[in-house]
Amino acid sequence: MTGFQRRTQTVTFVLFLGLLLLAAYPYQDGLMADLFLRMDPLAVVGTILAAREFAVALVPGLFVLAVALVAGRLFCGHICPMGTTIDLGERVVTPKKKPASRDNSYEATTRYRNWKYIALAVILSAGVGGVSLVHLGSPLSLVTRFYGLVAWPLTLRVGELGLQGLAPVLDRFPMLASAQIAQRVSATNLFVAGLFVGIVLLASVQPRFWCRNLCPAGGLMGLFSRKPLMRRQVSDSCNGCGRCVRECPTSAILEEPAGTVHSECIVCLHCVEICPQSAVSFTWGAAPAQVSAPPSPDLTRRALVLSLGSGIVTAGLLRTGIQQPRALGRDKPLVDEDLIRPPGAVPELEFLTRCIRCGECMKACATNTLQPVWLMAGLEGIFTPAMAPRLAACAINCTVCGRVCPTGAIRDLPLIEKQHVKVGTAWIERRNCLVWEQDKKCLVCDECCPYNAVSFRSVPERKNAVPFVVGNRCTGCGWCENKCPVEGKSAIRVNIIGEVRLASGSYVEKAAEYGLVFKASDNKADRLAPDTFIQRDPHQGPALLPDSPAPPADELPPGFITK
Amino acid sequence: MALKLDRREFLKSGMLSTAALVAGGSASLLLPRELSADPIPDVVIVYGNDPANMARSAVDALGGIKSFVKPGNKVFIKPNMSFARKPGSGCNTNPLVVREIARLAAEAGAAKISILDNVLNNPSDCLSMSQIPALCQDIPNTVVNHVRAERLFREVKLPQGTKMKSMQALGDALDADVLISVPVGKSHSSAGVSLSMKGMMGLVHDRVSFHSRYELHEAIVDMVTVLKPHLVVIDGTRILSTGGPGGPGKVIPLNCVVASTDMVAADAQMLALGTWYERKFEPTQVKHIKRAAERGLGRLDLGNLNVKTVKS
Repeated sequence: MTGFQRRTQTVTFVLFLGLLLLAAYPYQDGLMADLFLRMDPLAVVGTILAAREFAVALVPGLFVLAVALVAGRLFCGHICPMGTTIDLGERVVTPKKKPASRDNSYEATTRYRNWKYIALAVILSAGVGGVSLVHLGSPLSLVTRFYGLVAWPLTLRVGELGLQGLAPVLDRFPMLASAQIAQRVSATNLFVAGLFVGIVLLASVQPRFWCRNLCPAGGLMGLFSRKPLMRRQVSDSCNGCGRCVRECPTSAILEEPAGTVHSECIVCLHCVEICPQSAVSFTWGAAPAQVSAPPSPDLTRRALVLSLGSGIVTAGLLRTGIQQPRALGRDKPLVDEDLIRPPGAVPELEFLTRCIRCGECMKACATNTLQPVWLMAGLEGIFTPAMAPRLAACAINCTVCGRVCPTGAIRDLPLIEKQHVKVGTAWIERRNCLVWEQDKKCLVCDECCPYNAVSFRSVPERKNAVPFVVGNRCTGCGWCENKCPVEGKSAIRVNIIGEVRLASGSYVEKAAEYGLVFKASDNKADRLAPDTFIQRDPHQGPALLPDSPAPPADELPPGFITK
Repeated sequence: MALKLDRREFLKSGMLSTAALVAGGSASLLLPRELSADPIPDVVIVYGNDPANMARSAVDALGGIKSFVKPGNKVFIKPNMSFARKPGSGCNTNPLVVREIARLAAEAGAAKISILDNVLNNPSDCLSMSQIPALCQDIPNTVVNHVRAERLFREVKLPQGTKMKSMQALGDALDADVLISVPVGKSHSSAGVSLSMKGMMGLVHDRVSFHSRYELHEAIVDMVTVLKPHLVVIDGTRILSTGGPGGPGKVIPLNCVVASTDMVAADAQMLALGTWYERKFEPTQVKHIKRAAERGLGRLDLGNLNVKTVKS
C-alpha cells in the first residue's frame, strides 16, 4: 500500500463507515447513505438485468464503469471498502515477505484469475434469466452486510461490556454509572462473519486474492479497463530491476516490467512511487504498448458458454422450484406465512430481483425488527429482510428502511404512505392465549395496539371477554406480537394474510379502496422516537366489538376482586 | 385584692386539682396520640394546589426528611416514568413532586440520589416527556435515567417470598440506605391499581415472569418483602382513573398527596380516596394490597389508623 493510496482509502473508508452509521433513524434528508452500494457496478448491472428496469438511483455504478474505461479499476484500489478491509486484514494474516520477482508476475499468478469472470458470467446470465444472484458476488453487498449486521452489533456489545468492566470507575460518576448502550442482534451473523473472514483470510494465499481472482465486480470493471485511456506506462529508463513486479498487490505486471495487464491493475500507484528509476507513470496512453499483454479474460469459449449456461439454468431451476414466489399457473404464492416483508417492499417476485441483501435496511431499522432470513423465502431469498415482530415491532413513525434501500426493493415512501402499508395481519393463536385458553384476564394486545385493531367480545363458556383482531384496522406492525406476555411464541402473531405490496402507486388510495382504516398518530413533529405513539381515544376497559353482548353490569374492572 | 381561702377550702381545691392532674396525666399515658403536642400520623393526606409544597408538607408531617435521610446516605427515589407520556396523562409521577422529594433528600445531605426506572416505552422519550430529568438536573448528586442493561441488576433472594424466591433487582435500589417510593395513583389493567407496591416492578429486570410464571399479585407482595420503601409519597395531584397503566384514560384531579412509612397503608389510602372506573373500591378489593396486609407487611384497616389531613 502506498502513501497516496493509504490516504484515499482512509478517506473513502471513513466515509463508508460514516454513511453506514448514519443509516439509522432519524434519517437526514438528502443523505445518500446507500451511495457506496450504488457505486458497485455488479450490483447495478445485475439488478438492472434481473429487474429489467433502469433506475436513476443506479447511475453511480454505471459511472464507475465509465471511469474504468478512462482510468481503469481505480474504484478497486481507492474506493471499495472491501478492498480496504482486505488490505487491512492482510497486514494481520500474512507475514511480511516479498515474493521473488518471478513468483509475483502476472504470468506466475494466472491460476485463479478466470474465476471472477466465471462468477460474473453466472451472475449476469442468471440476471438475464430473471434471478438476482448479485448478493453472492457484489463486494459492496458483502462488505455492507458484514459491517452492518456483524460488526455493528458486536461494537455495541463491546461498548456495553466496556461499561461493565469500567463499573468500579464509573461508579464515582453517577451520570455514567447508569450509562447504557442499546444492543442489537442479527440473524445469520455468524455465517456472514465466517464468509467475510474467509474472504479476508484468502489474502494469505495471495495479496488481494478476492479482488484479483474472485470479485465479479472487479471482473466487470476489468472488462471495461482492458485498455483505459489513462494507464500504466513505463519509460525507457526502466532497467528491469523488477521491484514493481515483486510488489504489485494484484500481480498485474508481467515478468517484463514494462508490460501491464490493465484489467488487473487497481491503479494503486505503488509502482510509480517505488520505482528507483522513476520510470513508471500513469498517463494518457497514446504510446503503443511496449510489451504485448496476454489475453484477459483468458476464457475458452467452452468455459464461457458453460458459465453463461449455468447461470441461466440456475435461474430456470429457481423459477421452477416449489418455493419460488409465484408458482407457474397459480395465482397464490406459496410463501411462508411468517415472511413479513418490510413496509413498502415491492411485490415478492420483483422484490427478489431487486434486493441485493446488503443489509442496509436491517442496519438502519429503528427497532431491530428487520432481520435477514435463512431459507424462509427459499434458497433464492437467502439473507433478504423480513420482520421479526416477536423480537421488535415496526416503528409507526419510521420510514428508514425504504430510505436507505439502494435498489428500490423497499420503496422510499413518505410517512403517511408508509403508515398505510399493510404488511400482514395479526392473528390470535387461541391455544397460546391466556384469555382464550386459560380464561385469564389479559388486555395487553389491545393496550399496545397503535391502530386500535384488537377488540374484545364476550363469548359463551368464557368468564372474560376474549380478543379478536379487526382485520381492516390491522397493519401488521407487530406491536401485539411483541408485547404478548406469554412465554415463547406469541399468542397473537402477524402473518402474511392481507399483505398489500405495490410496485407503484399510492398505499393511501389502495387502503381506501380495500376498506382499510388505519388511524395512527404522527409524532414526527414532537421529535419523539419513531416507536413512540400516543393513542388518542381513551381506553374504557376492553374495547368491545359492536356485535358483542354487553358485559354484565356488575362486572369488576380489570385487576379488582370482590370484597 | 387579697385572696381569702380558709384551710378547708384550700385542701379541697388542692385535692381536686391534684386528682385532676393525676387523672389527666394517667389518661395521657394511656392515650399518648390524642394528647401529645405533635404526634406522627400513620398516613398523611395533604390537599393543595402546589405539588411541591404538598410533597414537602407530607414529609414534614411524617417527622421531616431528616428522620429518613442522614447526611452521606445513598437515597433511591422510585417514580413512575415508564411511559412516553406527558405529566397531564397521569401515567407518570408529577415531576414537581419527584423534584421536591429529591430536593428534600439533597437538603438532608444525601451523598447520592438515584432516580431510576426500568421503562416500558422508548427510553429517551420516557425521560424527556416525563419531564423528571429536566426538572431534577440542578439537584446536587442526583442522577435520573432509565435502566435496562442487565449489568445494573443483580440476583436477590426473597426469604419471605411465598412463591417467588429470588429476582433480578436494580443494584442501586438494593444498595440504597433510603428507598423512597414516589408513584402516581393510577389504574392498572392487571393489578387493579398501580401504586407504591406495584411500582417497585420498575426496579426488577425479569418482570415478565411476574405475569407468566407467578400469580401477579402474590409476586408483587413477594417482591416488596425486599424492595420495601422506607417512605412512600403517592402523587394524587391527578390520578389515571381508567386505562392504566399506559393510558390514555380518564384523568381525575384529586389535588392531594398521600404519604406514609407504611406502603400498604399508603396504597390503601390512595385507593380509597380515588374513584376507579367510575366506582369506589375498598383496599381489600385489590389482591396485592390485601395479601400484603395479611402477610404482615403493613396495615389496610384505614378506620383504625391515625390518618392526618393537612391543607397546604
